[in-house]
Amino acid sequence: MIYGDRTDGTIVWGATGRQGSFHINLMNEYARSVGGRGVVAGVTPGKGGQEVCGVPVYNSAREALSEQDASTAVIFVPAGAAGDAIMEAAHAGLDLAVAITEHIPVHDAMRAIAYADLMGCAVIGPNCPGLLSPGEQKLGIMPAHLATRGHVGVISRSGTLTYEVVDELTRAGIGQSTIVGIGGDPVIGQTFADVLARFEEDPQTEAVVLIGEVGGNLEEEGVRSTDMPVVAYIAGVTAPPNKRMGHAGAIIEGGEGDARSKIERLKHLGTRVASRPSEIPGILRDLR
Amino acid sequence: MKLLEFEAKELFREEGIRIPRGVVVRKGEDLPAGVADLGDQVVVKAQVDVGGRGKAGGVMMADAGNAGETVHHLFNTPIKGVPVNSVLVEERLPIEHEYYVSIAIDRSQKQPVILFAETGGVHIEETARTNPKAIRKVTFSPLLSDIPEFLLRELAGNVQAGVRDVVNRLYHVFCKRDALLAEINPLVTTPNGVYAADAKLIIDDNALARQGIAVNRDLTEREKEAEVHGFSYVELDGTIGVIGNGAGLTMATLDLIDHFKGRAANFLDVGGGADQERVKYAVRLVAGMPSVRVIIVNLLGGITRCDEVARGIIEAGVSQEVIVRLAGTNEEEGQRLLAGRGYRMLESMDEAVRAAVEAAA
Repeated sequence: MIYGDRTDGTIVWGATGRQGSFHINLMNEYARSVGGRGVVAGVTPGKGGQEVCGVPVYNSAREALSEQDASTAVIFVPAGAAGDAIMEAAHAGLDLAVAITEHIPVHDAMRAIAYADLMGCAVIGPNCPGLLSPGEQKLGIMPAHLATRGHVGVISRSGTLTYEVVDELTRAGIGQSTIVGIGGDPVIGQTFADVLARFEEDPQTEAVVLIGEVGGNLEEEGVRSTDMPVVAYIAGVTAPPNKRMGHAGAIIEGGEGDARSKIERLKHLGTRVASRPSEIPGILRDLR
Repeated sequence: MKLLEFEAKELFREEGIRIPRGVVVRKGEDLPAGVADLGDQVVVKAQVDVGGRGKAGGVMMADAGNAGETVHHLFNTPIKGVPVNSVLVEERLPIEHEYYVSIAIDRSQKQPVILFAETGGVHIEETARTNPKAIRKVTFSPLLSDIPEFLLRELAGNVQAGVRDVVNRLYHVFCKRDALLAEINPLVTTPNGVYAADAKLIIDDNALARQGIAVNRDLTEREKEAEVHGFSYVELDGTIGVIGNGAGLTMATLDLIDHFKGRAANFLDVGGGADQERVKYAVRLVAGMPSVRVIIVNLLGGITRCDEVARGIIEAGVSQEVIVRLAGTNEEEGQRLLAGRGYRMLESMDEAVRAAVEAAA
């Protein structure tokens, strides 16, 4: 519970789309199982008055909030409209916007995140699976059945690799407090450092698993900013330079941010780095 | 996507940045008559996407009389192995001073970052190493539509106003064109004004459609096919074909292959919603590489249906061994389908990768 709890109401942008409606069902199924409120409204311009999976759809955030009480947003709209959706959510006064959408032009993301920042709205993503606090709240598309409630926080730039690590932890009997997918794009809202700062304030979280990738230096920045015990895993050790491996962020630019030197810098900062996902539970046990 | 110099210059010109007069010559074409209007001395520049082009022999000085020979020479001289398909012939500017300016995105600040140096030109990378303080740097809010005056003064306060004006215009290009990088090196002063003597512009791939830029890359047949199916695909030089979902998991699979001393033949991320058809195409695509001895399929996700994936693998019907690691819904049905066909299905990523490395050895 580092961004909210089961009492939060959520508005989904792009509720009438295929992905939006599919995940409203899963999020509300989860909310019901933990006694939470879940998705209370959808926003799709021009489709106000409709209903998706029992959730009323409005033309705008302003309309939705005049009838529903909500504090968080989950955004599924197509890339070209996603920057606008983030700004609308922030402008309407929501505290948190989780942007699942991938392929958002980076200038749109940069401006929308800057605007949300001004409005006091934290952005998770874009191009991320969202967050999951097992037993409490699910915002986004993470498969809940792999997770189990516990004391390890997980922060990741990746989607499915996060599920892999969460699966390894659960199988090893290590539960999770909150799992946050921060997204794989070059410009993202909440960074490792931001999420780590929240974990420090969270009494439930005792240690953090940080899952990074080639590109940038957000992993090092995060580790440098925290006193939390951290275990890191960095994907992309064998990624060839200047080749794009899917995520826009996962590209090595002229030696900057390649995985091996990133791992070296993390080790230098005193962080334990797993050489493969299956090593993470063992290292976590060592830390305690 | 990185634009060629002459393409970038055209976009700079539209934003009011002066560029040298010039003409583009494409391979196989005659030297256009316009060359005669460029003056007695010209610069002939290979239009290739190669760093350090000048030092690699891609930029040559010529007299108007022998421009044709110089152009011909460049067409027949690959630059660092890259063939030259177009050449830019430009007037030679009476340069007084060379500056350096670039605008990019600072990932950790989440803001535009501007770099400026009073000594630009081919030695800028050396300057960055030996005298990093000579390169001034500012970041500022992306919500501003112009670089504030005080920041321009901070960057280039002691140089002529025309230079600062070009820096601000370059910022307009950067925003308007969805650039990841906009660079002028050198930005030159002459008795006739300030010019962008060179131009570099990298456009965000996620914005190519709205920028109206057609993608024209040198792709192999398989890479083209991967693009049609929306796969993220990179060819490597090993023997183990790799199919995964999600960039991180697929990269982690490659790393694990390396960890167990195997060598991956490719990176293929099928993306979200790995259904029967997509899996079939992915398996066939990878199996088509002659170097592939074994294929590992590593799929994980809440919404991936294992029975669909299994049917896709079976339908692909490739000759190589396929090792499958699947976690999702309908896992048992998927396992039952695959077991009957001689495919190996393993529970953990470690086991599956180890089996693939052994099979490829």
